[in-house]
Amino acid sequence: MTAVDYLSLVISALLLAGIYAAMAVGMTVIYGVMKIVNLAHAGFLMLGAYFAYEMYERFHIDPILGAVIALPAFFLFGMAVYWVLVRWLPKSDTPTLASLLLMFGFWQVLQNVAYLVWGNTAYSIFTPRSLASVHIGEISISKDKLIVFTAAVISLVLLQFIFNRSWFGRSMRSLIQNPYAAKIVGVDDQRTSMLSFGLGTAFAGFAGALLAMLYPFTPDFGPPFLLRSFVIIVLGGLESISGVALGALILALLETFSINIPLPWYWHGWNFSYLPASYQPAVSFVLLVVVLLVLPKGFAGLFEKKWRVA
Amino acid sequence: MFGFRIGKNVVPWLLFGVLLLLPAAHPGNNLMRLLFGTALWITCSVAWNLLGGFAGQVSFGFAVFYGLGAYTSALLINAGISPYLAFPVAALVAVLASFLVGLPTFRLRGPYFVIATIGVGEATRVIMNNLPITGGASGLRVIEPGPFRQLDHYYTAIIVMALAVALSAWIANSKFGLALRAIKQDQDAAADVGVNPYTSKLWVHAIAAALTAIAGGAYARYHAFIYPGDVFAFQTSITILLMPVIGGIGTVWGPVLGGVIFGIVEEELVVNFPNIHLLLYGSLLILIILFEPGGLLGLLRRLSRLVRSKPRREDPGSPDAEQVLWGSGGAQGH
Repeated sequence: MTAVDYLSLVISALLLAGIYAAMAVGMTVIYGVMKIVNLAHAGFLMLGAYFAYEMYERFHIDPILGAVIALPAFFLFGMAVYWVLVRWLPKSDTPTLASLLLMFGFWQVLQNVAYLVWGNTAYSIFTPRSLASVHIGEISISKDKLIVFTAAVISLVLLQFIFNRSWFGRSMRSLIQNPYAAKIVGVDDQRTSMLSFGLGTAFAGFAGALLAMLYPFTPDFGPPFLLRSFVIIVLGGLESISGVALGALILALLETFSINIPLPWYWHGWNFSYLPASYQPAVSFVLLVVVLLVLPKGFAGLFEKKWRVA
Repeated sequence: MFGFRIGKNVVPWLLFGVLLLLPAAHPGNNLMRLLFGTALWITCSVAWNLLGGFAGQVSFGFAVFYGLGAYTSALLINAGISPYLAFPVAALVAVLASFLVGLPTFRLRGPYFVIATIGVGEATRVIMNNLPITGGASGLRVIEPGPFRQLDHYYTAIIVMALAVALSAWIANSKFGLALRAIKQDQDAAADVGVNPYTSKLWVHAIAAALTAIAGGAYARYHAFIYPGDVFAFQTSITILLMPVIGGIGTVWGPVLGGVIFGIVEEELVVNFPNIHLLLYGSLLILIILFEPGGLLGLLRRLSRLVRSKPRREDPGSPDAEQVLWGSGGAQGH
């Protein structure tokens, strides 16, 4: 491989990291504030993809604009879900069985409603831009990937801004750090939880719409991305937004390079060969186990004080 | 109700006897098949409940053990080894796999175990889809010498199920079961009174894995053809988790009830409404969590209380189930 090949691999990993971070950050927000492992995240991602598709097919709205519209739409949807289902769950410092099963049941409902509405054929959003690419010297980058990356980064910066500068962000941070102390000083935890759930769902829908621009999707679209989101937030230490960015970068680099770099594998004796691309989904899990064994607090745990943004 | 005190011990034995003698009455092949499948589901359901119900550790990855059991048995049977020897080996493989998941994750607090189980499930399916010795995605034929004898299969399933239920009943009343419940309620308090949460969770996970693997092995032997998209599917993990929750989590008989209902209803639902049966299960799950954490067993208890219309003062409802689902009540200080 030449240097140009390496460079283009690094660039594609970076672009992947952007969308991965946007995908995982919704989960972090919900886990951080409510200690709920939101299994319905997979369902929200999937709905986001279909949202962008419907917007494009029916109203000829560009999918990137569709993703932006998905933000407020899914924010309201998430708040409604919180109001109807989630607020009845008991508060706890660790994820409860009830919360896991409730979100899991809701995911099943979302997924199977989607099967009823859209069937099980794979959809994809094909715009005139889909095949276009930008050339910089010898490196060519897909235009869609570039746009998705930009949108993801802008959204993350905005989220970080909300977290650090707004009153709502401050009350969220206080709930993440210490729910008891937060309530003592007058943070309305019910209201903050509802807004956080809405925010987490909004990001899931947004990320789903972005993913729809890059990959074909079915109602069963969520699980591989759910798993990646898990890995990313565990890498990032579960509760921090900058940790998510770091986790997304590590996972994206590893996924990209693992199948593009010959490694010594044991296969009829030791020899250097490429990891078959079909094994790529297993990479994220292996990473998860290694991190759990070596760094149970995630990479962010290394910089505990400094990285604890949220 | 209805002499429930006596029934508590007699009814299971009676049922077991009926199931053992049933083939003498020459029921149709279809009924035998249905009972066989239901018995395997009950085994898995009871196994999941040991870990999820008694110890409070939710796993979304039981398909791993089911699939490993199925594949180990299949490969051994194909190598000419007796299935009854293959099943224990399959159980052993699953136990090792359970340690692989449990060793890194049970040491940590928080959602790590749950997350890891989903990860293990996905990764195992991906790997099995690609490994040459499993036949990859195109599946594996199980070739057992000799004719197909449904009775052998039937009795294997019934006896494995009975063993699972007996084990579950024994654990529920043993010191080990008490330790598990203590861990579920408050891990720190349990550790203070001398329970080792780490090893207890590891062992109960191993027992559950072994039972599930044997059920998987029996399934592989009966179906004579398995493929990763079936036995390792996320769907299989979901099924195994839904049964005890629907039946009544944390009890001995709830998972059995859940398995019976699932085995029989699933058949009708899948045939008649292939599109909405999971929608129904999802909705049922939500309703159970929000309104009747005790599952169907809890609902039955509530109904029987209504029918008797004689409020017994100290009817505990289903404290176990509520305990599992809602955590230790106000102990979190909220």
